[in-house]
Amino acid sequence: MRVNRFISYIFFSFFLLNLTSCSKDDTTIPSDPFVVAFEDLSANLGTIGRTMEIPLVFSTTAAQNGSFTLSISSINATYGEDFTTIPAANRNEITFSINSGTEGTSFVFNKLNQNLDETSQILFTISQIDYEASNIQGNASYTISNSASLGKAIAPELGGPNEGNQIYIDLSTEAETIVKRDSWDLGFYSGGDFRVGINGSIYMAAASLESTNIDEITEADVIDLQPQVAIGTFDPNNAIYVDNPNGDILGTAVEEISITESENKVYLLNLGYEVGTDTPDSGSVAVAGDARGWKKIRILREGDDYLLQYADLNDTSHQEVRISKNTDYNFTFFSFHTNTVVAVEPEAPKWDIVFTVFTNVIDGAGSYGFSDGVLHNGKSGVQAYEVTTDLFSYESFSLNNISTSSFGDDQRAIGSNWRDVFDGVPFFDRFYIVKDSNDTIYKIKFLALANDNGERGYPEFEYQLLE
Amino acid sequence: MTRFVSCFLPLVFPIIVIAQVDHPSDSPRLEQLEQVVLTGQLTPESVEKSVVEVKVITRNTIDRQAGNTLADVLNTTLNLNITPNTSTGKSGISLFGLDGQYFKVLIDNVPIINEEGIGSNTDLTLINLDDVERIEIVEGAMGVQYGSNAVSGVINVITKKSSKNRSEVLAYLQEETIGNEYEFFNRGRHIQSLRLGHNFTDKIYANATFTRNKFAGFFNNRMGENYDQNDGLRGHEWLPKTQQNLKAVLSFKEEHFAVFYRFDYLCETIEKYNDIVNPNENPSTDTQDPLSLDEIYNNNRFYHHFNANGKLFKYLVYNVSVSYQEQIKNLKQYTYRIRPQQEENVLEGEYQGRTAFFSRGTLSNLLKSKKISLQAGYEITNEKGFGSSLAVVIDPEENQVTQSLNSYDGFVSSEVHLGSKFSLRPGMRISFSNLFDTQFIGSLSAKQSFGDNWELRAVAGSANRTPNYDELYTFFVDVNHDVQGNPNLNPEQGVSTFLHLKKRSALSEGRFRLKNKISLNYLGLTDRIELIVSQQIPLTFKYNNIDSYKAVGVFSENEIFYKNFKGQLGASMQGVSKVLDNRKDSDEDFLFNFQLNANLGYTIPKWHATFSLFFKHIGTQQQFVEKINADGQQEFQRGTTNPYSWMDATVNTSFFKESVTLTVGSRNLFNVTSVNTTAFEGGAHNGPPSQIPLGYGRSYFMKLAYNLNI
Repeated sequence: MRVNRFISYIFFSFFLLNLTSCSKDDTTIPSDPFVVAFEDLSANLGTIGRTMEIPLVFSTTAAQNGSFTLSISSINATYGEDFTTIPAANRNEITFSINSGTEGTSFVFNKLNQNLDETSQILFTISQIDYEASNIQGNASYTISNSASLGKAIAPELGGPNEGNQIYIDLSTEAETIVKRDSWDLGFYSGGDFRVGINGSIYMAAASLESTNIDEITEADVIDLQPQVAIGTFDPNNAIYVDNPNGDILGTAVEEISITESENKVYLLNLGYEVGTDTPDSGSVAVAGDARGWKKIRILREGDDYLLQYADLNDTSHQEVRISKNTDYNFTFFSFHTNTVVAVEPEAPKWDIVFTVFTNVIDGAGSYGFSDGVLHNGKSGVQAYEVTTDLFSYESFSLNNISTSSFGDDQRAIGSNWRDVFDGVPFFDRFYIVKDSNDTIYKIKFLALANDNGERGYPEFEYQLLE
Repeated sequence: MTRFVSCFLPLVFPIIVIAQVDHPSDSPRLEQLEQVVLTGQLTPESVEKSVVEVKVITRNTIDRQAGNTLADVLNTTLNLNITPNTSTGKSGISLFGLDGQYFKVLIDNVPIINEEGIGSNTDLTLINLDDVERIEIVEGAMGVQYGSNAVSGVINVITKKSSKNRSEVLAYLQEETIGNEYEFFNRGRHIQSLRLGHNFTDKIYANATFTRNKFAGFFNNRMGENYDQNDGLRGHEWLPKTQQNLKAVLSFKEEHFAVFYRFDYLCETIEKYNDIVNPNENPSTDTQDPLSLDEIYNNNRFYHHFNANGKLFKYLVYNVSVSYQEQIKNLKQYTYRIRPQQEENVLEGEYQGRTAFFSRGTLSNLLKSKKISLQAGYEITNEKGFGSSLAVVIDPEENQVTQSLNSYDGFVSSEVHLGSKFSLRPGMRISFSNLFDTQFIGSLSAKQSFGDNWELRAVAGSANRTPNYDELYTFFVDVNHDVQGNPNLNPEQGVSTFLHLKKRSALSEGRFRLKNKISLNYLGLTDRIELIVSQQIPLTFKYNNIDSYKAVGVFSENEIFYKNFKGQLGASMQGVSKVLDNRKDSDEDFLFNFQLNANLGYTIPKWHATFSLFFKHIGTQQQFVEKINADGQQEFQRGTTNPYSWMDATVNTSFFKESVTLTVGSRNLFNVTSVNTTAFEGGAHNGPPSQIPLGYGRSYFMKLAYNLNI
């Protein structure tokens, strides 16, 4: 019995130990050094006005006090005469304190001489960081000059999982133009051809009818055709109802507008979908809302202008609008909602890429709606291609690595290839090279598809000038 | 310790008392004399006399295998295949090619709930065996006895409700490696269990069992939770999970009257650490703050079962069970900041769950005749289920789908003895429910004994399978897709027929005994539910009752007893044919699968030791899959899954007058992790998987049990 008691004592001690011990994996992961860096890389002298605040960020919230030093150097600009800073520099250096609990700091740049020209350049460089386990890396210097942007990180306001916006971005000026993607319906091409595009970002579709008389068409004439004239029907033949997704103006769903009036057919127009309003499960998108209905249209030429006729399907009369080309822009945009020409794209050379929902065509499955698209401005000569990191790392890629023959015109060179929708992150094994209409070349790397909580529609990218 | 508390906090409620009738069997030895079974019987009956063919896994076998859950012990059972799902942590069952939706798991004759079904769709890892006396298995449709979803068969887990001893304490520790992974806390499997039992009077018995089973996951080169590289290595290959299970029974028994109340609470935590790591780079400082979106599932199951049985007027046998059960699975989703190990944006909510009120009552011996026994019974199931939009694909604007399924069934069974050698067992059930048309279910079994210990059984039965929530409620409609469930679906109809020929022999004056059995089986399903194209342009998918399914086979199970040796050997050949009415050029040929199993035990009484070997071989499995051939045409091809074998070996020995029992062994001796397969079709956005995960490789375990009887 004593043996038994002993055994039970040992057993239950062990039992309790085993039962109550909770354990958490306490592996420590090596982390990055503490870094102080400029938030951005550069600013343009021409656009900054008299003063500008220049932010500096810490890689993590400071856990202790410390300090760092900026050095200032300049070409054709003199501290105290052409520009000053607050706090003021002492022997071309400024020392900042790092205060525990803060995430960054800033200083003010005052432009005293408003006539600094393209020969002037002012350079701020982080020369020293006094903080435990710190390192100088990332945006360690900041350039103010009249040259193209050296690069930036941008988080376009796509609008969350409904992706209601189109954001046109000019890389060299860092300019962003935001428009609602359902603010327009048709784009009248301003180039040499007479072509009209439909709004693929709201999944419009158009089908040519036999008739040339817009007033005689009724719903009964098109009722059999309607189910086919839509996106996502998985019918390979429905690609003819959408504009060629590669951006080729000669591939629009609406045929070339002919000078011969009788060659311009009436078109059945599926107006696509309103911007969605649902809140989808985290990681998904809800880009399409209610259907926007149907129109019938017919487009004619009137000299160098377009003449748009449009009406609801069962109307026996129609409205008419004369639309002129404006060669500063790729297109003149028209909205059935306002019945007017509307402003959408920036001037043709003033944007390089656009973040937008778009209509694509999948081989064998026809048209298919894509979200998170990034299209480049091929109509103004912007070109792009993809580089995979098994060939070059983003950091090391330089002008010498450019493969000129890889630049393509297909506006989907970035397209949706940059993101992994199943995992909710960008593909980290690739980046993109974009050449703008001035032959300025940038490399672009995507940082995010979703926000920290996994909600889609919060893209972020960074780009750097190749020089 | 916090998880322990969170599990048991909801347990504050009064425990009602009551009692039970059962046939005590505390047999630690290899052999079972007269095995009594309940499953499919009018009243408890011996295996030999049963008209229905019942297989039994005894407590002794469970102990020899050191099986903790149903998934552990069914691995080497003939015809049954265990299918682990590494991404949900569940283990399902497949029998005659049909998954767990067609198979019913019962505890003490009452279906056990899980978040996706009452009895069906059971996660076998949630059925702990520590207070279990035996497991009964019946193959084939058992709709008359057990209602919906008992199509391919039933498992009835019979718990222990009595003891010979006045008081007993049973505690054990079990340590297992997961493949070759083991650490005292963070790797491997660690099980602790404690059971206390007491006979308060000669009529009142109670016991309580607590078991904690912590599975640290199968890493297999994966790096676990705190790993910040986006190279697919974060997380686990098999999800870690911790189960805590508290069970109690209180039984009262006297002549002609017995009642028991049984309670079971299970709390399970499954940790799903995402392999996708978002580096979350800060482009300004060129530093990273890696994030991952993680999920923790928490399952809570409550089971109450009250049973009363006895005799009225000295001949009418009644048996009434009333049970309330619920299982709610909660999901916690959060953004994990990996380096500082912080959880952010924590979202918690109910993921999927079910509650059910269940009652079954039978009145037997209605005719007071020895020749004809008649049983009438009722079964009521009031089931309420819900699935969140994360569990079921529904319109995201609808937070969840809920359904109440109330069925009211009546059934009649009879056993007619024509002479001493022939018995006939007709039965039928009628089922009314709020969702489906009235269902009629029938069964007819017969048993003929011949001379010289030959027995022939023919068992025919029917049962249906009710549509699941995906089939009823899926709503995936956007610009590019249109896939919809169908609320008007009918249950699938299943019929099965079995023929069993059995022979018992004794040689050398009974020292060498044999039981041989050969069986033929047929199982047919009509109105099978499939997702079909309901419209070409635009392409629209909808679930419909359209296809049919057939399984035929032959199998043999044999037992040998010789001195201290006991062996079971089985072989099976099963063929499956699917008629896919919705697909062009589908192939209806039967595809066959061969299985072998063996369960060998040898006892050395002098050492108090038993050596056991459990083996199963599953031959090449085939399946028709629609693939694109070299000419770009869709066609049906035979996809195959490679053959594999399981083998477990154990030694079981006791010390100190049997108060301490040590079991050591190795599972999965052939070191199976996964098999290659071409038997899957790819999805719309991804290719087909080329491997099926089956196990985590050869592992070793040690179980040390302490048993004190007073």
